[in-house]
Amino acid sequence: MADEMFDVCVIGTGAGGGVMIDQLTAAGLRVVALERGPYLETSEFDDDELRNVVRDQVFSRDQLETFRQDGGAKAEVGHYSQIAHCVGGTLTHWAAWSWRFREDEFKVLSTEGSVAGASLADWPFGYDELAPFYERAEWDFGVSGDATGNPFAAPRGKGFPNPPHPQRPGSVRFAEGAKGVGYQPFPVPMAINSKPYAGRPSCMNGGACRSYGCPVHAKGTTYSVSLPRARRTGKLDLRADAMVFEVPVDDAGRAIGARYFDSSGATHEVRARQVVLSGGTMGTPHLLLMSKSSSFADGLANGSGLVGKNLTFHHHPSVVGVFEDDMRGYTGVEAGMAFDDLHPSDPKRGFIRGGVVAETNTFTHQPLAFASTLGEYNKPQAWGADLKSWIREFPRASTYAGICEELPIEACAVDLDPDVKDRFGLPVRRITKHQHENDLAMFDWYEEKLVAVAEAAGATRVLRGSQGPLTISKDISQSGNAHNHGTCRMGTDPAKSVVDGYGRSHEVPNLWIVDGSTMPTNGGYNPTLTILATAYRSADHFVSEARKGNL
Amino acid sequence: VSHRDLSRRRFLKQTGLYGGGLLLAWQLPRPLTAEAAAASTEPVSLSALEWANLDAIVARIIPSDAEPGAREAGCVNFIDKALDNEDAAALPLYRAGLAGVEAAGRDLGEGGFARADSEAQDKLLGALQAGTAPGWSKEAGDSAFFFETVRQHTIAGFLADPSYGGNRDMVGWKVAGYPGPRHRRGGYSNDQVVGKASIISAWGEEL
Repeated sequence: MADEMFDVCVIGTGAGGGVMIDQLTAAGLRVVALERGPYLETSEFDDDELRNVVRDQVFSRDQLETFRQDGGAKAEVGHYSQIAHCVGGTLTHWAAWSWRFREDEFKVLSTEGSVAGASLADWPFGYDELAPFYERAEWDFGVSGDATGNPFAAPRGKGFPNPPHPQRPGSVRFAEGAKGVGYQPFPVPMAINSKPYAGRPSCMNGGACRSYGCPVHAKGTTYSVSLPRARRTGKLDLRADAMVFEVPVDDAGRAIGARYFDSSGATHEVRARQVVLSGGTMGTPHLLLMSKSSSFADGLANGSGLVGKNLTFHHHPSVVGVFEDDMRGYTGVEAGMAFDDLHPSDPKRGFIRGGVVAETNTFTHQPLAFASTLGEYNKPQAWGADLKSWIREFPRASTYAGICEELPIEACAVDLDPDVKDRFGLPVRRITKHQHENDLAMFDWYEEKLVAVAEAAGATRVLRGSQGPLTISKDISQSGNAHNHGTCRMGTDPAKSVVDGYGRSHEVPNLWIVDGSTMPTNGGYNPTLTILATAYRSADHFVSEARKGNL
Repeated sequence: VSHRDLSRRRFLKQTGLYGGGLLLAWQLPRPLTAEAAAASTEPVSLSALEWANLDAIVARIIPSDAEPGAREAGCVNFIDKALDNEDAAALPLYRAGLAGVEAAGRDLGEGGFARADSEAQDKLLGALQAGTAPGWSKEAGDSAFFFETVRQHTIAGFLADPSYGGNRDMVGWKVAGYPGPRHRRGGYSNDQVVGKASIISAWGEEL
């Protein structure tokens, strides 16, 4: 039974959807927002490692997907993507690293030329056009940082709203090591309050951000920033536990709203004049491919055949250094210091593109992940005295990792698994993913540089990522990541892209995609601030077109 | 692709970036183990013999030395409760594997595996991990996968929150030098982050 006609239906409440909901309700539009996951209270945001990280019982209880490395192979059921199904989306449990992409990261094809086996593309806009929206994202989400710290960053106007966070000994040692080999370290910009800001408190340095919710709202999220603001307008109807399975169309080929299951399995339909799809790089193509109709037999808005294609992650060259003193990796924000000297692309290195390098407590902030995963670095599947001595290294270990750009490959994709169904009987998403040889060359080259930094920092022992869980090779691709991009790429040519530079479908005029799926290439930085900025830019355009009567 | 690469790939796929433990049964509702562990430290999943053999295995995976190991941490109790709750899907794997250990233990003297000396125990466990245990029956399952599952669960029982029935008196955190979770304890001051101030652990020790 359809109820009232909304101005806009937004599907998903993460970085893309949350910003759209906020900006569109602020402009007076009446919005219904559909989120597949539950609304979690801050009282559920504990830092129980078993529940949050190992069992992933808080944020993605219902996640089910399959993975295969190559097309033609049978995909295996598992729990691969590090994404959250809850009000606020993956932003709710993000670590909050917040970068602006470099200028050339919007122009990869024209910078590098075409590369065999890769589907490089330019973005339909450049850094200059996105810069004002980066600034809005930084000031809404309270990014902390040093505006002059990174000599390799794109030019910026205003500084950051918050100063850098305090640096734990592990971050300080990393910076010393980086300087020792001639690099220029600076604090990682983080969307976490380092002082009380915008009605939200300062970070309590609890050490558990990534994979956890922030119980005090110090972390910049749509859960803590955008959605509360949108609610106060009175223009938002937010429906949690609403699993959208179809975006139906009318005879004219326009989207008419969304059909969803509630938690009991009952179906509902909402109607809206405009539909914004923000299900993320995994969820958005999944929904489009499920939305088949006589007008769109291959899935909605898929005339290009590119829905789901060109999936990229980042790859992460890394080392773990073991030091003589306590590095206090269990305190503070996830990433401390970084250097960007290796980021600029240089084909003479044997590969193109690059990425930033930072000290991060991804593994070293919680003992269970440390012991069960990093045992691999030490001795594969260690036990006995070896395992116990490794557990004792916990406070003295420090991780250095690259956030390295992957080249897009058209065959790397999200589609519908032909065999596996979820609890609603819907086909689950299937991930097909392998690495370009450029990724492998970059991974190996970076690892050598990271070993040198760790040695210069005074590590008594350096364990290589190629021996650990993040390794990649011709035969071992990553099966899941927290950084997912590219499955509905934007562009100016309808034959080579799914949406235009504002996220508007080339084919369905009242359908918009606003999330990481529209990113044609993935940059050498964590993607979220770029997704947020892109969403602000889409929202501005949306409101302006609405006011002109063009929607 | 070698056998090691294959098993390694399987392991990597299961762990992903999060590491550890995403082996089984993550889809069940939450949080059950903690309540079960709070209710009882008696076996609810395992027989007395299975409990004794598993306790002997975990005691070799994280041995006691000058400091407590998995036995003192109560890892067997942690696993017993998990097998009745979130990790119920692993119970058949445990039943089969522990039956295999029991059978193999008959060659190790009167008390079987649980009473054998640590050298003999380690020899058998090493063979389980390598998939080369002599006489290991088909019914006992994939010994390497069984061992890896026990290894992961032992680490979890040693280092997860004590409310799940292991990490008794926070002995795992003491060994690791981890002061305990802080979200509900006010976090850390800036001086503690930078190392200018000491940290008081969850058990009251200055670190």
